[in-house]
Amino acid sequence: MDNDLHNKEMRIVYGETLNELIEQNPNVMCLEADLSKASGTNPTVSRKHPANFLNIGVAEANMISIGAGLASEGKIPFCASFTCFASRRVYDQITISVAYANMNVKIVGTAPGVTAGPNGGTHMCFQDLAIMRAMPNMTVLSPCDCYELRACLHWMAAHRGPVYMQLIRMKQPKVFDPTYQFRIGKAVQMRQGKDVTLVSTGYMTPFAMTAADELAKECITVDLLHCPSVKPLDAEALVASAKRTGGVVTVENQNIIGGLGGAVCEILSEKHPVPVKRLGVPDQFGEVATEAYLFEKHGFGVQHIKQACRDIAARRRK
Amino acid sequence: MTEKFDREQFDQMAAEWRYIMTDMICRAGSGHLGGALSLVEIVMTLYYRVMRVDPKKPRWEDRDRLVLSKGHAAPVLYLALAYQGFFPMSWLKTLNADGTKLPSHADARYVPGVDMTTGSLGQGLSCAIGAAYAARMDGKKHRVFCIIGDGESNEGQNWEAAMFAGHHKLDNLVAITDYNKLQIDDFTDRLLSLEPLCDKWRAFGWEVFEMDGHDWDAIYNTINAAIAVQGKPKMIIAHTIKAKGCCVVENKPESHNIKVPDQAAYDKYMNALNIKATLPY
Repeated sequence: MDNDLHNKEMRIVYGETLNELIEQNPNVMCLEADLSKASGTNPTVSRKHPANFLNIGVAEANMISIGAGLASEGKIPFCASFTCFASRRVYDQITISVAYANMNVKIVGTAPGVTAGPNGGTHMCFQDLAIMRAMPNMTVLSPCDCYELRACLHWMAAHRGPVYMQLIRMKQPKVFDPTYQFRIGKAVQMRQGKDVTLVSTGYMTPFAMTAADELAKECITVDLLHCPSVKPLDAEALVASAKRTGGVVTVENQNIIGGLGGAVCEILSEKHPVPVKRLGVPDQFGEVATEAYLFEKHGFGVQHIKQACRDIAARRRK
Repeated sequence: MTEKFDREQFDQMAAEWRYIMTDMICRAGSGHLGGALSLVEIVMTLYYRVMRVDPKKPRWEDRDRLVLSKGHAAPVLYLALAYQGFFPMSWLKTLNADGTKLPSHADARYVPGVDMTTGSLGQGLSCAIGAAYAARMDGKKHRVFCIIGDGESNEGQNWEAAMFAGHHKLDNLVAITDYNKLQIDDFTDRLLSLEPLCDKWRAFGWEVFEMDGHDWDAIYNTINAAIAVQGKPKMIIAHTIKAKGCCVVENKPESHNIKVPDQAAYDKYMNALNIKATLPY
């Protein structure tokens, strides 16, 4: 089964992995707020482990604080909803009931950024990485494929403390394989290069890989760091790469303020200042649109990544 | 649950608690006096006559839990825990001091015996529900108590929680509303009326009781009657007086968070208690 995870929707892998975790530890629980089918836990978890499945209703604040109460008794609740409702709607509940109280609650934001597509601007959350990153005690993850998702979930269940994770719901290109090991706080070196550092996370990593491969044909070699762990971010790998290349491009399925690009700039400005170009959504709300339209409008598709890398590499050569 | 009820002794202890609590808050220079004074008899009854706890084992698995959702009333909880022996009395004088283990709002991270960290109003009842749900899942027999404020009941999350607990028939949960009729800015009836409060909770599937929150027998009997009801969560509407016992601010909005800038203010509040007691620190 492990070898064909990439043929499944990510949400199905989420549900199936929760089942594995529940079978390993009956304290693991699946909490939903009336989006369980969208999260992939209904019927996958609800049917197989009904005692560990709790649908709170359309009441995300209640879900997060109930999660904290369950965690105070040793349960390990995974609370899922669309990113907009799992992060910004319940920011104070996560801050106080979970992070301040340091409760072992896992929060899963589904359909991040442009992947909210047809639900449009109200549901298209570009700020969750930024706001969750700014919260003490919180770990922030954004896996890019099903193997990494599964590895992240196993890590989350074993780690004692609050974690926020983005969950892309649909099928994703295979990036890793069943032997993949997730390491908290570590970047994954996807491509080695000397002309420019490219830093990506989550949904944008397959696009970054395509950009890097196409640039290689132009004799621009890209040092591509994929960061499933947005907080803590791998400062060591980032600085080492920036020292090798002298310039950095970041790309994320988020506002360019405060997320991955922000984190990269914070580290580099203190430890090794180099030119940085942040790609993502330039401080705007989302809208009902196709991914291609949004990439073009906001400038963070493959062509934009390539151009930004060319620009940074050229700057270095001057 | 450690002592037999002796009315004279309980009256004396309640007076001491009011005296010490007012001193703690005055010493800190400011604090939430009114909503802590209104809970003295209820919290004392819970810890001395109802709840099964063990000060030597604050995290004892089978203990009864108390979530003080109106976390700003923490001083009354801290007094109960200090008197029970969860931590030394000397801690009490450090309320809100730099580096203290006793912060203004109830904090389970630092204070042995505090079961849930609270302070952002409206979240504690949901947390208590999570604890009660987990206990039921695990077949545990302990009870979960939760105290919410009347002003706090303005928060919508309470009603999400009410709907959930009613639907899931969480009968190991007993909630108490400290209905002192005052919130920060005004009387609740003038600012945002909760009435008909009992009907609201009943409509959400809860068994509802009312009691005089300063009458020892009423409190004890009502809490026990609530515990005994099976098949639904229980809400006790406790009619209380904000800042009870401190005549200069009793039943006044300004009792919510008193400011004590100098000795004159300190004397004003302490003398208003009309209690002679000694401080245990």
